[in-house]
Amino acid sequence: MKPIRTLKISISGVRGIVGDSLGPVLLVRFAQAFGTYGGGGTIAVGRDTRTSGEMVSHAVVAGLLSTGCEVIDLGIAPVPTIQFYVRRSPSAGGIAITASHNPAEWNALKFIGPRGLFLDAAEARELLDIYHQSDYRRAETPGLRAVARDASAIDRHIEEILHVLGPVPHRLRVAVDAVNGAASEASPRLLDALGCDVVPIHTTPDGRFPRPPEPVAENLKRLCAVVRERRADVGFAQDADADRLAVVDDRGRPLGEERTLALAADYVLSRERGPVVINLSTSRAVEEIAARHRAKLFRTRVGEVNVTGKMEEVGAVFGGEGNGGVIWPRINFCRDSLTGMACILHLMARRGDPISRIAAGLPRYAMVKRKLDLPPIDVSELLGRLRAATPEAGEWNDLDGLRFASGSSWWHVRPSNTEPAIRVVAEAKTERLARSLADRLERRIRAAIRGRRAE
Amino acid sequence: MRALKISTSGVRGTVGWPFTPELAIEFAQAFATYVGGGTILVARDSRRSGEMFRAAVVSGLLAAGIRVVDLGICPTPSLQLAVIHRRARGGIAITAGHNPEGWNALKFIRDDGIYLNARQGEELLDVFHQREFHKARWDRIRPLEVFARADDLHRRLLRARFDIERIRRQHFLVAVDCANGACATLTPQLLEEVGCRVVPFNDRTDDGFPHDPNPNPSAMNPLAALCKAIGATIGFAHDADGERLGIVDDRGQPLDDELTLAIAVEARLSARPGLVVTNVSTSRILDVIAERHGGRVLRTPVGQAYVSEAVRDRKAVLGGEGSGGVIVPEVLLSHDAAAAMLLILEYLAGTGSKVSEVVAGLPRRFMRKGAFPMPPRTIYSFLSGFRDDLERNAGAAGADFTDGVLIREREGWVHFRASNTEPLLRVIAEATTEEDLDILWRRAERILQEGGVLP
Repeated sequence: MKPIRTLKISISGVRGIVGDSLGPVLLVRFAQAFGTYGGGGTIAVGRDTRTSGEMVSHAVVAGLLSTGCEVIDLGIAPVPTIQFYVRRSPSAGGIAITASHNPAEWNALKFIGPRGLFLDAAEARELLDIYHQSDYRRAETPGLRAVARDASAIDRHIEEILHVLGPVPHRLRVAVDAVNGAASEASPRLLDALGCDVVPIHTTPDGRFPRPPEPVAENLKRLCAVVRERRADVGFAQDADADRLAVVDDRGRPLGEERTLALAADYVLSRERGPVVINLSTSRAVEEIAARHRAKLFRTRVGEVNVTGKMEEVGAVFGGEGNGGVIWPRINFCRDSLTGMACILHLMARRGDPISRIAAGLPRYAMVKRKLDLPPIDVSELLGRLRAATPEAGEWNDLDGLRFASGSSWWHVRPSNTEPAIRVVAEAKTERLARSLADRLERRIRAAIRGRRAE
Repeated sequence: MRALKISTSGVRGTVGWPFTPELAIEFAQAFATYVGGGTILVARDSRRSGEMFRAAVVSGLLAAGIRVVDLGICPTPSLQLAVIHRRARGGIAITAGHNPEGWNALKFIRDDGIYLNARQGEELLDVFHQREFHKARWDRIRPLEVFARADDLHRRLLRARFDIERIRRQHFLVAVDCANGACATLTPQLLEEVGCRVVPFNDRTDDGFPHDPNPNPSAMNPLAALCKAIGATIGFAHDADGERLGIVDDRGQPLDDELTLAIAVEARLSARPGLVVTNVSTSRILDVIAERHGGRVLRTPVGQAYVSEAVRDRKAVLGGEGSGGVIVPEVLLSHDAAAAMLLILEYLAGTGSKVSEVVAGLPRRFMRKGAFPMPPRTIYSFLSGFRDDLERNAGAAGADFTDGVLIREREGWVHFRASNTEPLLRVIAEATTEEDLDILWRRAERILQEGGVLP
């Protein structure tokens, strides 16, 4: 029997299905816990376009106010815009109301610390402790503060991108698919400000997603068609909260999310020298690009907060996650699809080549991602068996699940943070090699699971 | 003092603790479930916690799939009219009326603009306690609607119901203390529209209450001073949400709160004899006035819904309570301070008399009110024990059990009842002379001592 899990309270926040597990009382309590954690300072609140967004945001505002916080309501805004706002203002933190790439019936709270970074594992555990203790700050009437509305967050974010990068020197025709999500307003405005000829699709911010919000190739058919019909130079697709970016080339072909980070890395590293941080599941293509630019590369556990934590530690000039999450600290210290678009457009302008030709020049790799159901067993023991069952020689990393690299191929196996499943990523020089690597790995995992069960 | 009272009149308590945003959300969800969907209007007074409770209420209603219309800061009678005008299923007034700023409350209004009556209030409480609220699916959650014109609607109706030309010709000089409450815009604007020269003060809704928003003589000293200084025809004082009205006469004398309804009854019955409805705790001055004009007084238990329903069912020409609430049925079947103002101004304009002269013509009574804080259980056991005693000892002859216990003595009457909104035993005595009142009050105290609730 599959467990019914529509509510997930974890160190990445609280997530659930509206009308089922995610209701206003739970939300108001989480906001109270966060207001207590933030010590009653100023908290910025923004949301994506989901139909439940106003309901969630009102519960959050009520909870924050009751703990004596001042609330700045940013309305509908991309998550990176909220993080940018918190970083550049004297806020004690922020709450982003978005279930990101999850379908429209989901919603979630993501908690942002005073420097615009998501709470890390230790901070999130502290927040959860406060939540579970239910001993919240309770402001009485003279101590209650007000809600201020600030509609300038998107402007400020766009201004910063323009300040750092300037307009794109060639007039490029750019199709953009914001999935009717948080970037519905911001993306066309940014592209316009960059001097592009914008072809917007899915920019009605009504939270009724016309495609699944995850910007993976199979969800981008409409964008690909529009790029071809309108002869656009490039197409961009975002998820509902606009942290992830996918690219469609000038011939209407999705490049695959892994290429987003490679393209942006190539641009940023040509401007700045310094270390790069990516997660353990990110393509080797980024490794090679870093090597071309003689940049030192670090890999971390999966999750934005792990990547940004390492970036701070090593003073990285660039970072990100393979699923389309570009982090360029000069502009914004988080995954930011708007920054990613601007980088790739500037890369295109500087090369003067079509994006298809630029992409062809990237290191060639093929990646296979799979998700296997996980019975309730000890995962570290399972991974130990898997390691023992791998005869090949190579480089092991057990920072987050298990990663094995040998020559130009590698695989990474880790338990999902959100489901009873393990995620498997395998990468090799060709599609065929990657698939056979993944097949072999899957067989070994299944055998390891059976071995555990046989005892 | 911290307090919470959940009763058939809604929920009321001290902000922070025990009246929390969770409680407000759950009550909103309960009300949405109780009315079964459709449109609900929400308004609040200007107290500082209003924004927090507004956010909580809106969130709870949205989560239940309600079409929520937000009236912002708005007098409760304007909300009640808007509920009728917009054909809504109901309304929630977020206001603790005359209570200090550290309090707040939710009051529930049905589709005919009247508060839930006791039976309906009990049904709502059952839904609340059962905590099985309707949850709307994500795609049934509706966007929040804003309606800022409830004030206009109210003023337009008032202008149509009174002889405005007659008032206009007098160029009355009127001072108004809005207590920085919800009437801060409505009243000055209305009085100007009917040709008065208005001197408003405490007419900001963003500044907190300058004094307790209870328009009785002790709170009307500043208004009285202003009236004297400018030689005002009359001074009006508001509570926080536009239900109760306090009056200062043309000599700068603050009038007892019982006199507001008395003057309104005099004004109404002199032009249109008929039935007046009030509660058992209100001054017997009304009976004398009614008798003079060939009218009649009907008494109900304390609680606006009782009076409202009786006014409607018995086709009364006026209703109200001794605390300064007046029902002018052709405007609204609930307390409406603005309607009371126009009724009185119209009367002054028609008769050419001064307020002090009107008061001098009214019978004189002496009233004393006491409020004894004690746990609700103590209140109810005292009241039922007292009633049993009276019935057993045949003392019940002159007693009235409409609401608590009212005893009639040679000197006057004494009423013992449980407050609907706070954990208080209220005692009210009225006599024709001060000596008689003292005798009555001493007797009341002895009853309390014998009942074991007073040392």
